[in-house]
Amino acid sequence: MPIIINLDVIMAKRKISSGELAKKMDITQANLSILKTGKAKAIRFSTLEKLCEILDCQPADILEYRKEDTNADKS
Amino acid sequence: MWNQVKSLRLSLALVRILFVLIIILACCTPIMVHWYDVEYGHGVGLLEGSVYFPLSICLYLAAICGEVCLFHLAKLLQNLKNEIVFVAINCQYLRIISWCCFLASIPFFIFGFWRFLSFIVALAAGFFGLILRVLKNVFDKAVALQEENDYTI
Repeated sequence: MPIIINLDVIMAKRKISSGELAKKMDITQANLSILKTGKAKAIRFSTLEKLCEILDCQPADILEYRKEDTNADKS
Repeated sequence: MWNQVKSLRLSLALVRILFVLIIILACCTPIMVHWYDVEYGHGVGLLEGSVYFPLSICLYLAAICGEVCLFHLAKLLQNLKNEIVFVAINCQYLRIISWCCFLASIPFFIFGFWRFLSFIVALAAGFFGLILRVLKNVFDKAVALQEENDYTI
């Protein structure tokens, strides 16, 4: 998927563990893991809002659009 | 009080009973077909002569399809009982059941040349297979929606 989630980068910058973040966001660690590993199909505005609030960042810091390299598949 | 769990148990029990019943009927097929051939030997069809072998083959093939169908139906019901509903494996079961219906309609269609009435059975089996195929397509969509919901954080 061309949408990249840079949650682990922001978490490292803020020095916050997965367990702590999951607890503060009131979600399970399994769900946070889905988000971190990019397996998530969608993210709710409420989740994004909580993430931005807790990590003191902007949505653009967490989400990034990267064009898929179509040539890589052909070679 | 009648509830969903009891309904599922009843369905599962009926499927298992039918599974055993088909095996018993398959064992009795030669006797039943012989009786039919003697009693109703002169039916309406394009081909003449004894229907003993065509009908026996038709019933055995249909029985195999039926058993495969019931086996997967039992598995599907077992999954529903365990609250595993919108998963890819259930779509696979529905797909197999649907194909079994289509396959079961083939011997009946061929037997229709001996007895025209068999065309109706073939049509019914094919129609049922088609309904199940549509149901499988609906399940496919539901699985995709469920997955999207599960992976929405």
